[in-house]
Parts: sequence; C-alpha cells; structure tokens
Amino acid sequence: MSTGTVSRRNFLRTTGITGAALCLGFSFVADGKENEVIVTTDAEQSALELNAWIKIDSNGLVTLIDHRAEMGQGSYQSVAQMLAEELEVNLKDVNVVFAQGDPKKYGGQITGGSSTIRGSYKKLLKLSATAREVLITAAANKWKAPATECYAESGMVIHKPSGKKLHYGELVADASKLEAPKNIVLKKRSDYKLIGKPLHRKDTPMKTNGAAIFGLDKKLPGMLYAVVERNPRFRGKVKSFDDTAAKKVPGVTQVIVVKMEVFNTIREGVAVIANSTWAAMQGRKALKITWDDTGFEHMDTAEVYLRQQQELKKEGLSFKKQGDPDGILATATKVLDVVYQTPYQAHSAMEPVNCIAHYQKDKVEIWGPIQAPDWVQGDISKKFNVPIDNVRVNMTFLGGGFGRKAFLDYPYEATMISKQIGAPVQVIWTREDDTTQGPYRAGISYRAQGAITNGEISAVKFRMAGQNIDHWSNPKRGVPNDSTTEGFLAPYFESIKNISFADVPFEIPIPNMWWRSVYASTNGFAYESFVNELAHEAGKDPLDFRRTYLKDERCQKLIDKLEEISGWKSRKKNEGYGVAITECFASTVGQIVKVSRSIDGKVKIDKVWAVMDCGWYVNPDIIKAQIEGSVVMALGAATIHEITFKDGMVQQKNFYDYPMPRITDIPPIEVHIIDNDADAGGVGEPGLPAFSPALTAAIFDLTGKRIRKLPFNMATV
Amino acid sequence: MKSMLTTNKRFWLPVKTFAVIGIIGTIVGISAFGFDDPREAAPVARNFVFKKDSVASVKAFKQVYAVLMSARCMNCHPAGNIPLQGDDSHLHTMSPQRGKDGKGIYAMKCANCHQPTNTPGLHTPPGNPNWHLPPADMKMVFQGRSASQLAKQLLDPMQNGNKNMQKLIEHADDGLVLAGWNPGEGRTLPPMSHAAFKKAWITWLTTGAYAPKGKL
Amino acid sequence: MISLNVNQKAYQVDADPNMPLLWVIRDIIGLTGTKYGCGVAQCGACTVHLNGEAVRSCVTKVSRAEGQKVVTIEGLSNNNDHPAQVAWNEENVPQCGYCHSGQIMSAAVLLRENPNPSDEDIDSAMAGNICRCGTYLRIRKAIHSAAELQRKELSSR
Repeated sequence: MSTGTVSRRNFLRTTGITGAALCLGFSFVADGKENEVIVTTDAEQSALELNAWIKIDSNGLVTLIDHRAEMGQGSYQSVAQMLAEELEVNLKDVNVVFAQGDPKKYGGQITGGSSTIRGSYKKLLKLSATAREVLITAAANKWKAPATECYAESGMVIHKPSGKKLHYGELVADASKLEAPKNIVLKKRSDYKLIGKPLHRKDTPMKTNGAAIFGLDKKLPGMLYAVVERNPRFRGKVKSFDDTAAKKVPGVTQVIVVKMEVFNTIREGVAVIANSTWAAMQGRKALKITWDDTGFEHMDTAEVYLRQQQELKKEGLSFKKQGDPDGILATATKVLDVVYQTPYQAHSAMEPVNCIAHYQKDKVEIWGPIQAPDWVQGDISKKFNVPIDNVRVNMTFLGGGFGRKAFLDYPYEATMISKQIGAPVQVIWTREDDTTQGPYRAGISYRAQGAITNGEISAVKFRMAGQNIDHWSNPKRGVPNDSTTEGFLAPYFESIKNISFADVPFEIPIPNMWWRSVYASTNGFAYESFVNELAHEAGKDPLDFRRTYLKDERCQKLIDKLEEISGWKSRKKNEGYGVAITECFASTVGQIVKVSRSIDGKVKIDKVWAVMDCGWYVNPDIIKAQIEGSVVMALGAATIHEITFKDGMVQQKNFYDYPMPRITDIPPIEVHIIDNDADAGGVGEPGLPAFSPALTAAIFDLTGKRIRKLPFNMATV
Repeated sequence: MKSMLTTNKRFWLPVKTFAVIGIIGTIVGISAFGFDDPREAAPVARNFVFKKDSVASVKAFKQVYAVLMSARCMNCHPAGNIPLQGDDSHLHTMSPQRGKDGKGIYAMKCANCHQPTNTPGLHTPPGNPNWHLPPADMKMVFQGRSASQLAKQLLDPMQNGNKNMQKLIEHADDGLVLAGWNPGEGRTLPPMSHAAFKKAWITWLTTGAYAPKGKL
Repeated sequence: MISLNVNQKAYQVDADPNMPLLWVIRDIIGLTGTKYGCGVAQCGACTVHLNGEAVRSCVTKVSRAEGQKVVTIEGLSNNNDHPAQVAWNEENVPQCGYCHSGQIMSAAVLLRENPNPSDEDIDSAMAGNICRCGTYLRIRKAIHSAAELQRKELSSR
C-alpha cells in the first residue's frame, strides 16, 4: 500500500471483497430520503457508490458488513440472523465483518441508544430479501422458467416442479447484472425460520477459546506500547517532569508530554512508550512529574450535591408542561415534596480503555474498541488536519462499552502519541486510569412535587439538577432537551393532566458521558420512585395504581404479565414487593423485585422478574441475556457504586474500592418478553432503569423505610 | 537462641516477686505441656527458665492479645471460613473459602493470588510462600475470642495443632507470623514490634501461661 | 532468558523476571486470549493454569512460572471442546466476552476437582472472576451442564 489516499480498493481488500460477486447495498442519498437498493457485480466499483452491506461470492459465502460495534449486546448475531432469514441462507455461511468508520457509506454508526436493530432492521430485511429475489430471478432466467415456480432455501434456488437446484454461488455473476426489483414483499412473522428464535450467537465460539480480538489484543508490526500518567485533576496540565529514572527502565524508548482533548477541556499527561506494556508501566512508576493545577476546581462530592440542591430551588428550563401543576400544588392539601439523589458512576467495562493509532504524514489508521468509528474518523480528520478519507477507523470486538467507548478522547490521545513518536502505538489505560479519568455518568439530584386529591394524582412537578451532556457538548447550552423526560412513560401524560418537567442547568468540569440507558438510568429511579410514593400517599396498590395511570394497551398487557408471573397479589406477610416500569429507547420494561429478611436480619433480594416489550425482535435469548446483565449492572449502581471527588480528584481507583457485583451477589432473574408486531425497540439498555426504583419500593414494602439516595447499603437497611 | 535468652532474662528482672510461685524445672515444664518426646523439647526447654508468675503472665498476654487481635493476625484467623481483609477486618472480597487444608479451594486457592512475596503496590495481594488459613480441623479462631478464651485455646493441644511448649515458642518465628510485620504496602503493622511481641509471647508461656480471668 | 512451557510448547523469553506472566504471555509470546482487567488480582480476567492451578497471571511474576507448566485459554483444549467451553457455547454465556477466558479457566479447575459441583461450590470457585456484563446466572448454569457433559464423557470412556 502506497502512502497517500486510501483507495476504495484497499478498503475492499481489507474487508475481503474482491472478484466477481453479488453485492447489494443502499445508495447513499445526501438528503436522507428512502434509499434505493443497488445491485452490482463489480464489487470494487460498487463500493464507490454503495453502502455495501451484503456480498455473496461465487462460493456462496455471504459477507455482511456490520456497521455497528459488538460490545456484548449481540448485534453480531442478530444482524446476521436477520440477513440469513430473508436471504434464505444458513447462518453458518454468513461471515460478519466490522465496517470501518465511514458515515458516507453507512450513515450514523454510533452504537448507542440501543439502536442497532431498531435503527436498521427494516433496511437490512429489505436488502436481504432483494438479494434473494434477484438470485431467484437469475435462476429462473437460466432455467427459462417463471420465477413464481422457484423458491430459495439454504443458499440455493430450487425449481419446484423439476426439483432442479442452483447454489447462490453459481448465480451471483448473473444476478449481479439484474436490476433490483421494486416492491419487495417481506416475510410474515409467522413464516420466520430464524428471526424470533433463541439461536446461538456466532461470536460465542471465539469468545471461549481466546480467538476473539478485542482492542487490547490487536497487534501491528512495529507497534509500541504506551501508558500515560495524566494529571489526576480534570483540566490539569504538566508543569515539568523528570524522566531520568523512567528512561533507565529496560524497554522504555521515549517519554513525552501528551494532551488529551475532551470536548472543550484539555487534560495533559506524560506518556511512557516502551516495547511492552509492562515496561511502559514500570517507566511510568519511575516518572517524577510536577503538575500544573491552575484552573481546576477544588470541588468535592458534598459540594456538588449541595450546589445541586440549591439549584433545585430554581425553576430551571421547562421542557414539558401541561395543565397547571404549580397552581394545584400551591393549593392542594396533600402534597409530597421530596428530593432524590443519584451518584456519579464509572462505566468500568472489563476491557479498559485502549486504542492503537498509526499516524503517517497524511493518513491515520486507528484500531480499537470503538463505539463510534464515524465520529472518531471525523474528529481525527479535523483535529489533525488529515483528509477524512485518509482516516481509517477499525472496530475490534469491544470488551464492554456502556457508552464510555463512544467518547473521542482516547483515539485522539493515541493519535497524538503516534504522531510524536512516528510509530504505531497502543495506548493502554490501566484499570486505575479507566476508573479515575472519566467520563462518568453524571450524578443528578431531582426534586419531585406531587399532589394527591381524592386518591388521585392531581399534579406532578419534576426538576433535575445535574450535568446535562447535551448542554455540555453542545453550543446550544440553555436549550432544554429530552434528557429530562427520558425513562418516563409517555402514557402518564395522558392520565396526569397537570405535569411539568424542568432541567436546572448545572455545570461543573467533570467529564461525563452516556452510561448504559443514559438519563433513564437516573430519571427512572426518581420518577418511578415518586410514582410509588404517590401510590402510597393515595392508599393504592402500586401495581394497580400504574394500571390506572398507564392506560396504553401495551402497558396494560405488561402490567398483567408482571402480576401473573410474580405472584404480586398472593405475596406473604414477610415479603416485600416493589414495582417500576420505565421507557428507554422505544422499549418498555417493567420489573418486580421481591425482598425478605435473612436469618441475620439483613435484607436480601429473593427474586427479580422483568417483562420486556421491545416490539418486533430478533433473538429472545439475547434479549433475556441483556436484561439479566442490565439487572446485575443496576444492582451495582443501586447498592455499591459511587464515584466521589475530593479536591478535584476521583477517589476510587480499581475494583478494590469500586467493587463489582460477583456471582455470590446475584438473585434469580426471570425475564419475559411480550410478543407483538410493533416497531422494534432497543434491547441493550432498557433493562436497567426499572431495577433501582423497584428494589427500593420492595424495601419500603418490607421495612417502611424510603430510600431516596443511591447508592445505599443493603447490609444496613 | 543466645540473644533470645538474654532478652528474656532482661524481661524477667522487673517481675514482682510476690506472684512467683516457684521455679519449674525443665522436665516439669515439658510434662506440663504433655510432651511425649523429651528429645524434641529438650533444646528449647533447656534455654528457658520456667517460673510461674500469674501477674507477669497475664500482663504479657495482654500484649500478646493486642497483637493477635490486630488485623494482621486476626484476618487469617477468622470465625467463619472466609478470611478477613484490610485494617477494618472486613470479610475478604470474593469470599475465598478456607478449604480442608486452609489453602483455599478450586479456582480460589490462596496461592493463586498470594505470591511467595508481597506484590508491589497498594491494594495488591500480600505474599508468603506458605500463605494459608488454619486448616478446617484446627481452625484456631481469633476473631471474637476474649483474651481468656484465646489464651486457653492457644494452649490446648486439641485446638492448637498439637503444639507443645517448644512448638508454641517456636511459632513466634513462624514464617506466616513474621509476615504480619511485612504486610505489604499500605497496611497497618501490629501494635508492637515483632521482637516485643515475641518477648511477651515467651514471657506469657514461661511464666505459667496464665489465662486472664473472665473477659478482658 | 527464561524457559517457559506454555500450552505444551517451550519458549525462551527475554524478559525481566519480575514481569508478570500476563504481559509475557500477551506481549512477548503473543497469546492474547488471557486478558488484562485490573492488574491486582481482583477480577480474574487474567486467569491461567500454572501446574493446574488457576493463578492470576497479572500478579504472578514470570520467574514463578519458569520451568513450570502454563496453560492458557488457547491451550485448554484442541478444538474448543473442553466441557466448560462446550457448555459456555450451549448456554450462550458470553456477552462482550472479555472476562470469559478467565471464567472458563477458573471453571476448569472446579470441574477437575469437583465433578458434581453444587451452586455453593460454583460460587466458591467463581467469586474471584468479575463479569461486568453480568452473565453470572448463565455461568452457574453452564458449569452444571459442563459437569454433566464431563460425567458423560468419563462414563463413555
């Protein structure tokens, strides 16, 4: 490969597409209209124009270019499962390749917002069905038979009357010369052979024998390793450093100052580059650095929350308001006015943040666990002044992401180091770096006011004060956004006539970022806890109370299901039951938690029931797994985890002081999925928000103790 | 041995005489602790003067007790089957189990994390070539024991791993006991030096190994 | 030079004897199935077998492994067919998959020493391995299935 522009030819080589084949994709239309399926034989040519998603070669092997990251949520399987369904191929013949970052070809690639399936399934089904139809047509033409006499199955077209068969591989050359048919009819749900089935994930075998390549596993020829001692304070810089001892560590090659840009803030550090990770780590320990801490805030956690509580006295930016909640609250006789508090949280993916960058004059190649390759591409291009087509961003498997790996700081920093040292480099964040550097889920305080009149909710007013990602990253500060209502079910707006939401702007220089289920993860706790408190105030059963206020048919079904599976109505005296229902990325999840006291007097979780309504879905087992995992993550978030700050520094460092739930801590989790044909909703995140309000409600049911601040200690409830 | 003897002599001098019951000879000392094999006990016994002194003994045990109940010692002598951890003696994270031989079970054997030496850095596993808890059939629990209970338990061959006087004295220099004073970065040391502990330990044993009365 | 035997293959590595086995395996030998997760023996992602024991390679100096038998996830079986690996696939255990090399290496020791583990045995063996995706319930289930597979294998021999 010569230096200079990265040709499409190279792109195709790296993704394994060469030679005669059938390629299908959507042409990219700048105005974002419904794009047409394009069929072609010339893969190299086609890739110039196509959002090349599927390719079938002359051996019948199907390559699916997955434009989204696989970070545990299962898109690697579900995307393939959808394709195989409509294309009529065996799942084992589908090879999934991660796309490089290229928004011109793939549109938005950010794996976030639980959007992989819900954002692309209709397109992918149509594309796969189109491929099937052109292959059928090609076979029919060959046999000079009507296409209606032919059907596709297991990677073959079969002529029904004669029983003649042709493999897809034998048809691709002819098929690629055909026009894509219009008006493709997709299969009915009842005809699905793969979709809706709990099939085994294609990525499991390589995750049980060490073959899967995560970011940290990628090696490039001549690659060096770097670790960075960054200023422990946000926005801190390097004043001076002494690298004499560091350079004496065998294997250490260079020590340089490096800056990391995080949105509008800069953080500096000293990078130690070596021929092994360990040597770099040892060199780092030997560094003597004097920090320049001018300009950072000497904040601590108590101060953060104190300021938030002060802010909650203000009205804030009104986001949604209907009726006259203020008027009613002012005159109502039964008013609840409470504050909920949720903590800052680290993402703590098992694979710590890391990235490989290779900067060469006018091109940059990135490898890493990356949730948003297209963003990285754009960011590197802009900041390093490299033409966008010369920035290649390769996604590996992600050892967990949870939002952290959608941030742009670490590829930027790696590129910076590679540029300075003139070699490919892998920057490894230690677990301590991963925990102390952020970005974090923002800690948020909520004020909830509500009035109960004649046993009914007459008014509700919610205000939140906490860092709002959209305000921070966006020049449009001061404009309210839907972060405020995330998690809250839309049908409540039908039944609660007087309701308002507001966001009181709160700024502090703590880098924050989406964290699994984003604002629903904290809003859900405040809003659903408050619904539970209102139900109690109204003297109603919390589940029946929701039945009254969530009149939507899907919600009613979900509530019935929760009641049926959990034994809500037949609960015993010494059992505490709690419920919460939240919306997140177009899916609704309800959870019931059951608690009791163990012999030692401590409250323990006996069981968690979850009901998911995500509409149309691909793989029920993946959905169950995602909910099980979300509950475990939510358990940690509710009962263990809090990132705290002291004098502008994060106090938690590793799993010893930010401990994860372990196998010994996990209650049984039973997951049910509601079957319906509504549009597909998200799966990876919606299972999380309902857990903490359901748990605290169960504890209230058992003990009479309201918990309004997370995390809380189960051992001392 | 010489230095130990010297140290002991120095320690002996201030003991109040009214409490001295008598001088116990080597043989008596041995039989008192139920030694069967005089050859085994002889070298130690010859070097120590056994002289009952309940006040000195109890006083010495107070010091011994303070050390044994410190996190460095108690953490590996838990009441349950999970070791304790940290200066606050919380249950060891990840709940490793004692196992029959005290060396952990399955994928959670002590030596899987605890190396022959301390791992550098804060919050890293401390190390010792012989890292273990007391075995399941001889748990030698410190956690929750009063001084009185612990003193009796330490002397009871049924509970102390069949240790006679010689072995008890020697135990002060056991590799794992010594590890208490080399706990790895960031861990608080026992409340006195190993030398002071050893002196108190031997004093306690050689002055009659009196158990403090009731709960101390 | 340090002599190592990893997955029944002899290696001579030029490494600081204090370098953790983890980084020797990953950066020098080039076997990347063994993962870095915490560096302080908290998470178990780096678990390998040293003479059959599930040691945490991030805190194990390479000198401790000199001349000893090291097995990594890549060497646990020839065809991804150790009962634990088979069961992990059957029960769809991994999500992101990053911790599962370590999980499986821990499970393999349990299965060797206890052919019929109870839930409690499983918890005791596996509490040293963290999974942030929260696959614990499936890990437990997979170990039960693996035990059954193993018993069948043994009885058919």
